[in-house]
Amino acid sequence: MRRSMQVIRQVLTHPLFLRATGIVVGGVFVYASLDKIARPDRFADIVHDYQMLPLLFINAFALAMPWTEITTGAALILGVWRRGAGLLAMALTVAFLVAIAQAEIRGLDIECGCFDVSGMSSTEASWDLFLRDIPLLLGAALVWRKG
Amino acid sequence: MLALGVGAIYNAANPLGIPWLPSSGNRVGIPRAFETRLPQIDAAQAQTLYETGDALFVDSRDAPDYAEDHIPDAINLPMRKWGKLWPKVESQLPRDRTLILYCYGAHCGLSTRQGKALLEEGYDKVLVLDYGWETWTKHGYPTVKNPAGGKG
Repeated sequence: MRRSMQVIRQVLTHPLFLRATGIVVGGVFVYASLDKIARPDRFADIVHDYQMLPLLFINAFALAMPWTEITTGAALILGVWRRGAGLLAMALTVAFLVAIAQAEIRGLDIECGCFDVSGMSSTEASWDLFLRDIPLLLGAALVWRKG
Repeated sequence: MLALGVGAIYNAANPLGIPWLPSSGNRVGIPRAFETRLPQIDAAQAQTLYETGDALFVDSRDAPDYAEDHIPDAINLPMRKWGKLWPKVESQLPRDRTLILYCYGAHCGLSTRQGKALLEEGYDKVLVLDYGWETWTKHGYPTVKNPAGGKG
């Protein structure tokens, strides 16, 4: 048991594994930002649906958030400012988790807005999605702690 | 900060860019290019258009709410199902009539979003009823109530 824990620890903290994790997590963030950057109006609609922000801040949030995502993702992929980018990735993922959870608890029937904001192929905010975000959070946490 | 600066420049150049603050009428997510093309009207203006028969009301709310009660002759195009719904209704929605879109009430957003979608599809006579269903019923204007209710 002790030996297997040691092996897992060695794998998780191996520079190559950390690098790969950064690339995967960063790739997810960059991919997720592209549609939002192209269509800030539709992303603003989705932010509005989540009913978490006052109207005054929705447009500004919809404009700023995707650029924060793409910068964080690019930093993780390139391996620069790794700890800062890891921390930001964690913060963003926690924000996504809180948004999805509150939407589910309040029974809001809304699109996720995670990767696609067109409404043509997007998924609904749900507990499944919440669970799918957990590995992203763990990956970001790993890069932050050990990166 | 640099990324936000790049984002601001990109948004200024993007034809579908949005203002940093809500548009007039506290509307969010309206591209600058659409701001003047998607006017809001009040209940009295909508009622006038209703009486003249010049306009077609489009109910953007969910189907059960439409089934329960709606503006007479309004058609229901639930915006939350738009992606799946639009290909089926595209050929049936007239392009020569003024469309008045409404949803639940203050800043519900569905009718404005539907307005944007219709503008992108080439519809140019699109109006949004400000405060939607809420203001229509508050003024006591006619509705079609389903005695059985829509929500079961």
